[in-house]
Amino acid sequence: MKRQTDYGLEIKPVYTPEDIADLDYAKDIGDPGSYPFTRGYHPDGYRSRVWTRRMTGGIGSSKRTNEQLKQFRAMGQTQGMLIICDRPSAMPIDADHPMGRREAGVLGWHATSLLEFEELMEDIPLTGQSITLLGSAPLSALRLGYIVALAEKRGLDWRKVHGSVSEYPFGHIFGQTDNLPLDLNIKLWLDSTEFIVRNKLHIRSGILTQHFQESGGNNPQALAIEIAMLKELLGKLVNERGLDFDDLALIPYELVSVGSRFFEEIAKVRALRRMYAKMARETFKAKTDKACQLLIAVHTSSRTMTYQQPLNNIARCAIETLAGAIAGCTAIDNACLDNAYAEPSPFAARMSLNTQHIVSDETGVTDVTDPLAGSYYVEYLTNKVEEEAYKVLKQIEDMGGMIEAVKQGFIKNLMRESALQKQRDIESGERLVVGVNELVIPPEEDDKIPIQSVEASDSEEIADRMANWKKTRDIPLLKEKIAQLYADSKKGYDFNLMPAITEAVKAYGTAGEIIGVIRKAYGYHYDPLEMINCPFEL
Amino acid sequence: MSNNQRIKVLVSVIGLDGHFTGAEIVSRYLMDAGMEVVYLGIYQTPEMIVSAAIQENVDVIGISSHAANYEQINLLMELMKKNNFSVPVMCGGSIPPQDAEALIKKGVSKIFLPHSTSESIVDYIVSIVKK
Repeated sequence: MKRQTDYGLEIKPVYTPEDIADLDYAKDIGDPGSYPFTRGYHPDGYRSRVWTRRMTGGIGSSKRTNEQLKQFRAMGQTQGMLIICDRPSAMPIDADHPMGRREAGVLGWHATSLLEFEELMEDIPLTGQSITLLGSAPLSALRLGYIVALAEKRGLDWRKVHGSVSEYPFGHIFGQTDNLPLDLNIKLWLDSTEFIVRNKLHIRSGILTQHFQESGGNNPQALAIEIAMLKELLGKLVNERGLDFDDLALIPYELVSVGSRFFEEIAKVRALRRMYAKMARETFKAKTDKACQLLIAVHTSSRTMTYQQPLNNIARCAIETLAGAIAGCTAIDNACLDNAYAEPSPFAARMSLNTQHIVSDETGVTDVTDPLAGSYYVEYLTNKVEEEAYKVLKQIEDMGGMIEAVKQGFIKNLMRESALQKQRDIESGERLVVGVNELVIPPEEDDKIPIQSVEASDSEEIADRMANWKKTRDIPLLKEKIAQLYADSKKGYDFNLMPAITEAVKAYGTAGEIIGVIRKAYGYHYDPLEMINCPFEL
Repeated sequence: MSNNQRIKVLVSVIGLDGHFTGAEIVSRYLMDAGMEVVYLGIYQTPEMIVSAAIQENVDVIGISSHAANYEQINLLMELMKKNNFSVPVMCGGSIPPQDAEALIKKGVSKIFLPHSTSESIVDYIVSIVKK
């Protein structure tokens, strides 16, 4: 069995003060709440606020997902919600698109119109809990429109809503469904983020490494990519949109994938806080402490959840949740026992939320902040993963930054090689996975668990409803808003489309229509799959 | 197929699924084993896959599935029948047991579950193409 970190560093049997002889507590670590924030942002840690314990939700129609959300709330998920969308919404295409019809509601909530968001949130408060909507970059701008529109309808100040409905424009490089060209994705991300900052909304944007790691990327690569993405995206907002970094720094949050190599995962999160703080201060000249703090949420790694003997995943989930809690984070959403099969069943969801509460309420982990600081091993690992990450970051920067590195295929290559290595390690037995290459049982004896499913008829129903509903909209109003959006889209890369998108959302324009019209204005086919034509005369 | 010809495998992700890592890694394994791989990539409709398979005259079709969109695989099987094109179709990915069973009933020849070894995939292809 290998005794190496996930990036191949040999691990010794014991660590001593010599391994961290150069470490300067004040300069490199600092108390919790002090720069460089290696130990976290709050002197009181979880005593001032325990992390948000939430589950990933989203399946089928908006009404079905609304029921699921209510179930989660009854299971104790009241601090915040996290809903992912289906693949058609992610592309984005509407449910009544010939391909949307085949996959609507599969693997997530069908999220292509304000109507669906209204149905999702029926009898569920928009304020007093964090609202997180994930699953696609192009949809970010629409989801922001949904928040604004529904808050207005409910007579709420937009600024009272908090959460994250926007996400980074690079997800498709890491296996996420999204067929918008990269340049347009970046433009829409800049537009929506600028809109958030200028309107002082309490909405964040996920700049995530979760997808990179779930696709096989290793820890230092993830850290390097996170810093490279933030540096380039935030840099564009400062340089191209004239925003102040200290305002901007309240926007990004990172969803870290935490796997089963306990100490390495804790070291990774600690290193990330330090790397971000240094970048904020050194590259962007951040003036406030707050601007040196990257909000970090944790996702217990889907990749580690096995298909074989799924009940074993309860143990993995508990270990990873504990690692995430010790590392320090603002929220955890668990990949849970049925992750290799389907979206979480009520059984798996309860198990997963209870796991988080067992960790927060029974282990004592919330009593003391960053309890592993000073451990020779953990501090050594924190230094090493950071050191290794800076090497990868330098390679990316030598190419001209994240966007160039993506365009040259460097990022995808990192991920592919690392994934291949991980697979080879399991095949050769260098890494053991219980139920997979150790303590294997015959498939017929495997654990039987309930599995959530979406039938073809469910997708058809969502599609038919959308096709019929579209005809009942105020068509003249919609046409007017779409025409405005098209006109605005012709005004250049830096002209912010959020006001026009929000208006089109309020007129019940759909994702297929709104993103389609923007695509068309930029010279692309209206339909990302080039199967249907633009229904509007433009 | 004569013995001096290389086995030709079409590998694709189907429908709106964006997860390409599995398909790319399996493609690499097959190439390392000396097979010719026609890799279609992501966002391939059943129609596109069948037409490419016919055009390229492949021996086997491999579909990677990580998005629970089994309806697309069902449609692929129906389209192959309609076109009288009959080569083994194998699927790999996170496919729950009851869905795997349903796909086999639809005519899929083999389902490779998560953590299947490269050797088992290569051996299987060699065994069915030689039949």
